[in-house]
Amino acid sequence: MAYIVMDATILAQLKSAVGEHGLVVDRNQVQTYECDGLTNFRTTPAAVVLPRTTAEVQAVVRICAEHAIPFVARGAGTGLSGGALPAEGCIVIGLARMNCVLSVDLENARITVEPGVTNTQVTERVKAAGYFYAPDPSSQTVCTIGGNIAENAGGAHCLKYGFTVTHVLGCEVVLPNGEVRWFGSEHGVVDPPGYDLPGVFIGSEGTLGIATKAVLRIVRRPETVQTLLAAFHTATDAAQTVSDIIAAGMLPAAIEMMDRLSITAAEAAVHARYPMCEALLLVELDGPRAEVDAQIREVRELCSMNNAWEQRLAQTEAERSLVWKGRKAAFAAMGRLASHYIVQDGVIPRTALPMVLAKMQTMSEETGLRIANVFHAGDGNLHPMVLYDASVPGEEDRALILSYDILRLCVDVGGSITGEHGVGREKQCVMSYMFHEPDLATMLRVRHAFDPQNLSNPEKVFPTPRLCGERRHGAYVPHPAEAAGIAEVF
Amino acid sequence: MQQWIEIVGAEGVRAEDRVAVVAPSNDEQVAAVLQRCSQGLSVTATGGGTKLGWGNAVDANIRLNTSRLSGVREHSWQDLTATVGAGTTWAAMQSELAMHGQRVALDPLFAERATVGGVLSTNDCGLLRMRYGSLRDLVIGMTIVLADGTIARAGGKVVKNVAGYDLPKLITGSFGTLGIITEATFRLHPLQKNTSRFRVRSEDVVPLAELMHALVTSGMSLEAMQFRNEADAFALDVEFAAVPEALAEHQQRLRALAGSLPVQACDHDMYAVRESLFAIEGATVLKLTTLSTKLAALVAGFAQLAASGITASAVADPAGVVMVALIAPAAGLATIVEDLRARLLGIGGSVVVLQRGALPIEVDPWNDAVQLPPALDVMRAIKHEFDPTRLLNPGRFVGGL
Repeated sequence: MAYIVMDATILAQLKSAVGEHGLVVDRNQVQTYECDGLTNFRTTPAAVVLPRTTAEVQAVVRICAEHAIPFVARGAGTGLSGGALPAEGCIVIGLARMNCVLSVDLENARITVEPGVTNTQVTERVKAAGYFYAPDPSSQTVCTIGGNIAENAGGAHCLKYGFTVTHVLGCEVVLPNGEVRWFGSEHGVVDPPGYDLPGVFIGSEGTLGIATKAVLRIVRRPETVQTLLAAFHTATDAAQTVSDIIAAGMLPAAIEMMDRLSITAAEAAVHARYPMCEALLLVELDGPRAEVDAQIREVRELCSMNNAWEQRLAQTEAERSLVWKGRKAAFAAMGRLASHYIVQDGVIPRTALPMVLAKMQTMSEETGLRIANVFHAGDGNLHPMVLYDASVPGEEDRALILSYDILRLCVDVGGSITGEHGVGREKQCVMSYMFHEPDLATMLRVRHAFDPQNLSNPEKVFPTPRLCGERRHGAYVPHPAEAAGIAEVF
Repeated sequence: MQQWIEIVGAEGVRAEDRVAVVAPSNDEQVAAVLQRCSQGLSVTATGGGTKLGWGNAVDANIRLNTSRLSGVREHSWQDLTATVGAGTTWAAMQSELAMHGQRVALDPLFAERATVGGVLSTNDCGLLRMRYGSLRDLVIGMTIVLADGTIARAGGKVVKNVAGYDLPKLITGSFGTLGIITEATFRLHPLQKNTSRFRVRSEDVVPLAELMHALVTSGMSLEAMQFRNEADAFALDVEFAAVPEALAEHQQRLRALAGSLPVQACDHDMYAVRESLFAIEGATVLKLTTLSTKLAALVAGFAQLAASGITASAVADPAGVVMVALIAPAAGLATIVEDLRARLLGIGGSVVVLQRGALPIEVDPWNDAVQLPPALDVMRAIKHEFDPTRLLNPGRFVGGL
């Protein structure tokens, strides 16, 4: 890909905006920003700036707006859909240096932070007072609040606690024209009159501007937490247990499922001492002690009724963390089973789980590619991982096609192509399988209202003719060459 | 009239106060009506008509009535989701969902008459938001028809979904100024099987405010809570919902936390209090928002007003919302509203007029002359993209949106 060299006058302007140490143009250094957590797409940006204040972000965005230079905001670069993948000739705006907690208001359960603060740091800051920040993406120790806002990050516990959008009361945003505005409430007051701008901004994947401050809601730590592992012979039994728990009127903090491949990988990586089985359920209940004790008994009965052959209740905090460590390490652990893998993020109605798993098994057999499954079973959010070997000619293409076929399967059963990872660059061409032309055109009206010049993280989220071909009318159909695995989509 | 009859049939058209009321029975008819309006006829969508007085008055050419866009269209009870026509009344939806022991965990005003579309458009949330989140957290999909007749589906039918922009959130609370909602999909919650309710009274506001804070941070299974003034005392209504073992324990803890304050078990309908404010003859009803730590002081202020001979009934939701009904001479009301707005401005709060009563017409329902939303330019840009010729409820919302 062409490396675009930035005009010297623009570089000088950028330098005066962020200072000499805030501007990165050295070819090798700039290259470290060429991708995010989705590593099979790479583009070297023209320059990287590392602002320290809202005013510096604003100054950079103004320069971009004036010269019509695309810009891409970046937090820790842990995103899995290519949301922080640079656009050609763009300026990457790295927010990692804006990492201060600005104020903590325990009485009102609010905390105000800069975008470079990591997810875990928010909880660390309020932990001693008995609070936590609820969204918990698996990358929480490194991923930033700015990135969480861009992607509307979820995590295992959003079944009960909601997503990032549930927990952001207001955010300061540098708009694509360089103006700074507050969306929602700067003070953390609910229901500010006007359109719900945080509602549409959060999860817009950096296409509507850059968050430079956020007022977050923090949550009181529950009185007690119980974590149960249950091993099943079949995924259908495990899935039925999940349905039974929900039907009984319980709302666990998390219900996770892992299949044999995922368990094998997690065991190899962190020795979580999981029982080896076809389907492992991890059920976490939290709340008042009396209630959790009663509910965990009920959950255990439901597990037994559905033929769980082993059940283990974590007895100590250390055991509980180990259980979660294994689950959260599952993606990275795949490296133990295959040289390469693609993580997907489809969502299905929970009741379709046994059927979708069976279909995926068939797809795996047909393609000869292994699919490992880890998922947030409570809300139907699947994370199928397609394992492949990039050194085998054509295998990466087949793996990509299989991963998109899985997403189409999710749409076919009434679900979504992404539950928490975002569309980014990775899934933008599948968007037209999920949404019809008028639906996408309506979203683009929002995009146009915020960013008429199309500069803020361009060519993401929405299908474009350049990247997806002229197939915006009606459902996506793979090109015959693509279907045959002899050409790739991108 | 003939042009509307051609689109929706004679049974869907009537005249009311010399305005055509058009009731389409599907999305395509809504689109056709709006396309016909594009020559410059303004449109207000109406459901049960319970909140038409909220916001600025709009003298629209056409009223698009959603009564024929009704019914629970899909209830996937095992997936805890339901798709409902916008013209369905909230109560009718809930009673259908209750057949499977489920509900949309939200208690809006006037549920017997208010429709799904109207509740969404005004973002009317009740006491359950403390536990289940507000309307925006419960709506997962929507079909809207834009001013130019575009029919767009947004969101989806699964509880977790980040594909594309979250338009259902943008449309929720937009007062019908961006598009006409024809259908919505909700995330559901099970109906609670075991609940218990208590009322704690105190003549002094401070211990009761402290109790409210203690309960919020106690970790108990609170279903709803409200703080209000009565004739000669303050009252805190508390509802717990949990398994029976926990309910027994919660009651003990509540009594321990309340100390010397009397705790009374009661089956009083705490959810009806908010609505009863609107029924007070001639009352002005305001919605105030503030930080939760400031709620008790606001209610105490209204109690003081009440002691001075003005009718002032206030009810506060711990999420940070106070609803108050006031009866006073017009000039006094205007001063009260002005004072409240000045007090709340500095902490980011707001005072919105929901029912005017004797409040002079010069008092803006939104306070546009003093305080506009900080990103009004962005909101206007969105309005312009969705409805460039301003056909949909023009000027109803804050900042003339």
